[in-house]
Amino acid sequence: MASAIEIRGLTKSYGDVTALDGIDLDVPEGSFFGLLGPNGAGKTTFINILVGLVRKSGGTASVFGYDVEADYREARDRIGLAPQEFNVDRFFPIREVLEHKAGYHGIPHDEARERADDVLKRVGIYDKRDTRFDWLSGGMKRRFMLARALITDPDLLILDEPTAGVDVQLRHELWETIIDLNEQGTTILLTTHYIEEAERLCDEVAILDSGRVLEVASPDELMDRGTDDIVIQLRDSPTAVPDFAADNDRVETVELDGARLVVTAQQGGLVAPDVVQALDRDGHEIVDLEISRTSLEEVFVEMTRQGEDRATAEVQQ
Amino acid sequence: MSLTSFDATGFYALLRREILRFVRRPRNTFVPPFITNVLYFSVFGVILGERINEIAGVPYILFILPGLIVLGAVSNAFENASFSIFHGRWNRYIEEALTSPLSYTSMVGAYVLSSAMRGVLVGVLVAIIGMVFTTVGVAHPFYLVAFMLVITLLFAGFGVIGGLWADDFDDLTMMNQFILRPLVFFGGVFYSLNEIPGIFRQASLANPMVYMVNGVRYGFLGVSEVNPNISLAVLSLLTLAVVAVNIVLFRRGYGLTE
Repeated sequence: MASAIEIRGLTKSYGDVTALDGIDLDVPEGSFFGLLGPNGAGKTTFINILVGLVRKSGGTASVFGYDVEADYREARDRIGLAPQEFNVDRFFPIREVLEHKAGYHGIPHDEARERADDVLKRVGIYDKRDTRFDWLSGGMKRRFMLARALITDPDLLILDEPTAGVDVQLRHELWETIIDLNEQGTTILLTTHYIEEAERLCDEVAILDSGRVLEVASPDELMDRGTDDIVIQLRDSPTAVPDFAADNDRVETVELDGARLVVTAQQGGLVAPDVVQALDRDGHEIVDLEISRTSLEEVFVEMTRQGEDRATAEVQQ
Repeated sequence: MSLTSFDATGFYALLRREILRFVRRPRNTFVPPFITNVLYFSVFGVILGERINEIAGVPYILFILPGLIVLGAVSNAFENASFSIFHGRWNRYIEEALTSPLSYTSMVGAYVLSSAMRGVLVGVLVAIIGMVFTTVGVAHPFYLVAFMLVITLLFAGFGVIGGLWADDFDDLTMMNQFILRPLVFFGGVFYSLNEIPGIFRQASLANPMVYMVNGVRYGFLGVSEVNPNISLAVLSLLTLAVVAVNIVLFRRGYGLTE
């Protein structure tokens, strides 16, 4: 599949501080791609390089095959950006702000007005069209940021923390809108602190830490790398801890607390039938069984913690 | 959209946005120069002017009129460009244009042209106020129009540099108070160069405002203390150079990108 974003050896330094440290990344066209990382990982710097607000120190970055510096006009014409920080024209009512933004992208005035009305209706703030941005509520401001990103009908929609500080209902509404766009073919690049958001929406995520890409995989693949807990409640307490690890490489630990057995294993769903069979064979009666899957959040925390440890070790060396 | 040609629609959209910004805020853009110039004409033209002999063969109030027009026009052209760009940077909404496919030349063109337009409008406003106080004709319309266009474009270009350079609002005030106003007041608005000692006269010739004031004065009154053709040529070249610098600064992202 062709790449919507192609990054090779991308670096950005601010004096002695390295914000991006040789990133290689491909975001497939039409995908829903997540960029996860702790504060200061370099997510916003990465996005700002794509739209021209930050100049790269080295490497290459292209959007739909257009270099973001040499072919900046072609690249920017394909991008719709909803940044985390509000950067909206305060002088004009929001409908006019949208008309201006569309105009900068070469959309004639009459069509720009039609599009402005359409996107305001789409995000549910059409009745506020003659209001200036400062007078909108927090949730409406977030809706407007999405509307402004959509006014140019972009091929690549970049959403930097699009649901930061919004209530659950609005978050779900925004999710629906974004999913709908992705299904119509728009490539989505999403950064978020809500890991659940990435888990639910993204086809693939890149985990970024200290300016480096630690991993690129689907949320399911990442979760499979964590461990699940198979919690089994038995009728009677076993006399000894069953040694499931000897028969199954995926099993990491087995803990017994009275009649409650906790088997920690990779891909717990695959291990559970073997565990049940073994317990049955040994004459144990199972009262209850529950598999607690590892979350993407746990995998994320573990990976970024390892990244911090590596960075600390490098500094000490 | 085709990106191979001049992005006329994008340029027009930014130009329109910039013009609407100052047109919709007359209290900030047109009322202050109106009040200031009514005061100037009242005090310098009428109250003091009646006690001052003719300068260069014209009544004092008529002598200062072109200078006041230049003062209003260039101040407003400079202020418009510097404020609009700085305010956009301060509140980050300039990113709406920066992240668009607008070429850097189109961006600079829109900021400079809209700011020059405000300068010309304020110049016309000052001329109308002047007509209330005295009778004024236009001796050389071509020179008047040409000088007004060139000087407002030039100071709009300076304003773009100021707007990119400023780090806070104090910097904008400083540029206006400590650079622009001294240049204007020592630029022969209120006095003739022939009336000041030789060394100061020579020093004044290094002030571009002298050529601008005299150029507009030549357009209105047909009198000038410097050659209007040379002034127009030099100011035109200077304007082209400043606008070229504007485009280079935008292309390099000076004050705009990290």
